[in-house]
Amino acid sequence: MCETMIEVCNLRKSFGTNEILKGINLTVKKGEKVVIIGPSGSGKSTFLRCLNFLEIPTSGTVKIDGHYFAKPNEKLNEKHIAALRTEIGMVFQRFNLFPTMTAIENVMAAQIKIRKKSKEAARETAEKYLKKVGLSERMHYYPSQLSGGQQQRVAIARALAMEPKAMLFDEATSALDPELVGEVLNVIRELADEGMTMVLVTHEMKFAKEVADRIIFMDGGVIVEEGHPQEFFSNPKEERTKAFIKKVEH
Amino acid sequence: MNLLEKLDFSTAFRELSPILMEGLGIVLASTLCGFSLALLLGTFIALGRISKYFLLNKVLVVLLEIVRGTPLLVQLVYMYYVVPLIITLIGQLWDPSYRFTLSPFMAGVIGLGINYGCYLSEVIRSAIISVDKGQFEAALALGYTNRQAMWLIIIPQAVRIALPTFGNYIIMMIKDTSLLAFITVSELLLRTQAYASQTFLTIESYTILALAYLVLSLPLAQIVRIMEKRLKRHV
Ligand SMILES: Nc1ncnc2c1ncn2[C@@H]1O[C@H](COP(=O)(O)OP(=O)(O)OP(=O)(O)O)[C@@H](O)[C@H]1O
Ligand SMILES: [Mg+2]
Repeated sequence: MCETMIEVCNLRKSFGTNEILKGINLTVKKGEKVVIIGPSGSGKSTFLRCLNFLEIPTSGTVKIDGHYFAKPNEKLNEKHIAALRTEIGMVFQRFNLFPTMTAIENVMAAQIKIRKKSKEAARETAEKYLKKVGLSERMHYYPSQLSGGQQQRVAIARALAMEPKAMLFDEATSALDPELVGEVLNVIRELADEGMTMVLVTHEMKFAKEVADRIIFMDGGVIVEEGHPQEFFSNPKEERTKAFIKKVEH
Repeated sequence: MNLLEKLDFSTAFRELSPILMEGLGIVLASTLCGFSLALLLGTFIALGRISKYFLLNKVLVVLLEIVRGTPLLVQLVYMYYVVPLIITLIGQLWDPSYRFTLSPFMAGVIGLGINYGCYLSEVIRSAIISVDKGQFEAALALGYTNRQAMWLIIIPQAVRIALPTFGNYIIMMIKDTSLLAFITVSELLLRTQAYASQTFLTIESYTILALAYLVLSLPLAQIVRIMEKRLKRHV
């Protein structure tokens, strides 16, 4: 058993000639909650998407619980990448629930098709996680019949039902009406308290301070500064960090 | 005036309807087979066009241009009279006694299938493209492979988007089966022609023929409309 859940080594990503990530190193321990903040366009989403290879890095490596997506200079193996992705849940800004399936079918689908579980076992797990996110009553609703907050909670349940080792959240509450943000943050907070390893991108600074073990500030495709939330917000060292904190806190 | 007095709808109806009824099976069978083939071809052409294989893409575009640039009637005639000859010639390179034939019905189904497959491929392609990219990513993030995400998540949604259009193409195909008369398939038009030329009940026969096509296509059009409403609910 290693202590490290996610290990990123010298990660670079370019779109065409435009280099977005310029050499990022990051180690996330098991059970650790890392929050990434930074200005728009700084590469936060791109970085998060590299963590489950939705975006293929131009160079550098990503290791999940000791397993490489691809070893350095190794050819990509689609099946292996897909299998490793099941170990990491991802929650998107725009929910991305499957609209032709009800809430519970959304949560069951990948368990059956990918995890090869029986329908009964998948249903049981789905009910458990829908209950966890407080949606037992809405199991048989279609996404179009649910509020944004409810949809996002189904999306979280869908990711959890694969029993991943870590979760990635990319601005999970940015597309929500203000009054619906709380219910989603509560679910994420509960997950954090249970010891789930998490990497979150968020604009909710208060929430970041509250759940993070470590804050990472990205700008221009590099990690500018990182630290414990208290230390980070009260005593930033870099000029860029100071400017950013000043801007978001007003 | 004279002409009107001579019209004899009741005789024409009495004699022609059973003849048309017999041809109905052929119309329905050729539409069903032709459309199934078209759906299959259309899906694979669409997937080929979406794939990143440059050469495959170019080959398919050429095929589409040929099919869309020539009349369906010409394609059917070609499929019935010319294609078997070409296959026979090629086959005889190995076995001089080889002979390839296509029944008129088979030639018709293949011709309709290829023609409609090309048009449907564009419908399917744009339906696939119109599915939100986030759907594909959500599936990948859950551990689906590209192929699984395409067939289990994207295509079912694309089908919903395309279904009403499919319905309209089915109605068009029913009417286009009348072209099979030109390759000796004994469908409705050929039967009507034969009857009209024997009895000289021209106006009556072709009016009844037109009504027969309406009876086939109007209910279908209604079904398409209902389907359109139902499918819109959860997309
Ligand atoms: N698929 C792509 N092709 C080309 N450029 C891209 C692509 N994805 C992202 N980019 C570019 O990469 C840069 C970083 O984007 P990214 O989405 O990672 O930023 P971000 O930090 O998440 O910003 P935000 O806070 O607005 O979400 C942007 O300039 C964006 O235009
Ligand atoms: Mg982003």
